[in-house]
Amino acid sequence: MTTPIIRANNLRKRYGKDSLALDGASFTIGTGRIVGLMGPNGAGKTTALKALLGLTPFEGELSVLGRDPRRERDALMQDVCFIADVAVLPKWLRVSQALDYVAGVHPRFDRGRAETVLGKTEIRQRSKVGELSKGMITQLHLALIMAIDAKLLVLDEPTIGLDLLYRRSFYEMLLNDYFDHERTILVTTHQVEEVENLLTDVLLINHGRIVLDSSIEAIATRYLQLITSGEHLSAARALRPIHEREVFGRTVFIYEDKAAGELEGLGELRTPSVSDLFVAKMSGGVQ
Amino acid sequence: MNARSFMTLLRRETWEHRSLVWVPLLVAVLIVVSAMLSANVTNSIEIRFDGEESEFFTRLALDTAKQSQLFAVWMSSLILPLIVVGLTVLFFYLLDALYAERKDRSILFWKSMPVSDTATVLSKAFTALVIAPVWIWLLSLAMGLMVFIVVALKVGGTPLAPLGNFHVGTWFALQLTLLLNVLIASLWYAPVAAWLLLVSAWAKRAPFLWAVLPPALLVLFEDIIFATSHAAQLFTYRLTGFFSSGFGVGEVEGRGSAEHIRESIRHASEHLSALPLLGELHLYTGLVAAAVLLYGAIRLRRWRDDA
Repeated sequence: MTTPIIRANNLRKRYGKDSLALDGASFTIGTGRIVGLMGPNGAGKTTALKALLGLTPFEGELSVLGRDPRRERDALMQDVCFIADVAVLPKWLRVSQALDYVAGVHPRFDRGRAETVLGKTEIRQRSKVGELSKGMITQLHLALIMAIDAKLLVLDEPTIGLDLLYRRSFYEMLLNDYFDHERTILVTTHQVEEVENLLTDVLLINHGRIVLDSSIEAIATRYLQLITSGEHLSAARALRPIHEREVFGRTVFIYEDKAAGELEGLGELRTPSVSDLFVAKMSGGVQ
Repeated sequence: MNARSFMTLLRRETWEHRSLVWVPLLVAVLIVVSAMLSANVTNSIEIRFDGEESEFFTRLALDTAKQSQLFAVWMSSLILPLIVVGLTVLFFYLLDALYAERKDRSILFWKSMPVSDTATVLSKAFTALVIAPVWIWLLSLAMGLMVFIVVALKVGGTPLAPLGNFHVGTWFALQLTLLLNVLIASLWYAPVAAWLLLVSAWAKRAPFLWAVLPPALLVLFEDIIFATSHAAQLFTYRLTGFFSSGFGVGEVEGRGSAEHIRESIRHASEHLSALPLLGELHLYTGLVAAAVLLYGAIRLRRWRDDA
């Protein structure tokens, strides 16, 4: 892994009396990676992001770009960009004012670049955010963010509530016009299929803990998926899969840290997709 | 935080709260227009001055300097409706300033920018305590001149007192005094503004009630439990003390007589400036309270996590 941009150790965050949003989450994110932080609703994704961005108090050690977001948030935000979700640009803001504002407060904002990106859309500078569609608001937000020369971009469910065309173009813009292997992108989503082809790394979180922290390449060496049926079932189960499910009359097993040789001959072997692993890790496996 | 960022934050406030700009402007325009439409502008001056001006001034035995000062005060008194409107708009502005951004979740956008919570909260306090008052002062200045021009045109060049009594130097000196007063008023009312900002940063809903009810209940409970009224006195003094302590307006003996009126005018003309308030301890305790409340608002905005 390259130089870490984020180091989190034993993050804990309690909401109310006995609801733990983060329960000892630890992870490291390297520079130039595109990391998906995924988990079911309420798993702690958004809380983890809020901790990284210094938006919420928490316990534990955390360093983002060498800074503690609790104490050095203002300086940190020069190098970190953040899109919460489509709803956060205020309705009264005009597009031209949004450009004026970011140009006025952000030393790394390239207004010309934002205007070029906006020029390719149907968004007019006179429009107010309240007059734009959800998809256009996201385009506007992305145009603003893409024109900022930041080291870390954090996206929290950025495409939620958007139709397919906008969702597709959102990630295309991000990958083609923004990502350059020196920046790092951290994206949370519960729609795993949508992002799994973009990612270089996966962080799965459940009940406030990291249950999987792996690069995409490492998944192929650590995890195996076996599809089988009939007489091989008991042999397959004996090898202690982490997950088992039925698909069209056949049974799909997922194994962790098993040599392919052990499973040979029991059925069809392949590398599980991120979605398969997500399901396996989240449902707690077979006991 | 540099000057350019802070200017941008101030511009942002006028984009979001345009009523701060155009409501006082609208009232100023209405006053000028009604002065134009009214056929009796000069009459109203006469009424105000209790009859024929020359006679009025003669009876009061005021010298020319005092007469032009009195006239300048009359022109500037047009600021009063602007102040009333301005205070109303500012009250709702301050209650909304840190509340609306949490309600529509835009705080997550503002917080994604390299702007500290301190700068944000201070930009809002600065808007309420400096930008809006100075804007109202500018409007009243322009409005006073326009009404004067309307009066002058209506009178048509006859040597009536309003024209004769307009003295640019006196008028301008009074405007500067007025600006000074406006800024001293800001210092005096800073704790009120800071309280409203704190409520705005804190309330989950109904900031208006949270701003008004706790002080009201405090007064009520103090009365019921201790049968005292320290809180009531404190709040009343804070709200009205600018006028009662600021200008040293005292009672003049012999109400109703010409002597009384002359003395009152003389007294008032010597107390046009609120500078005495700077010698008032309460001004400074208020500023300390304002600082504490603003610090609370900054902390709340920094750590409150409900967006």
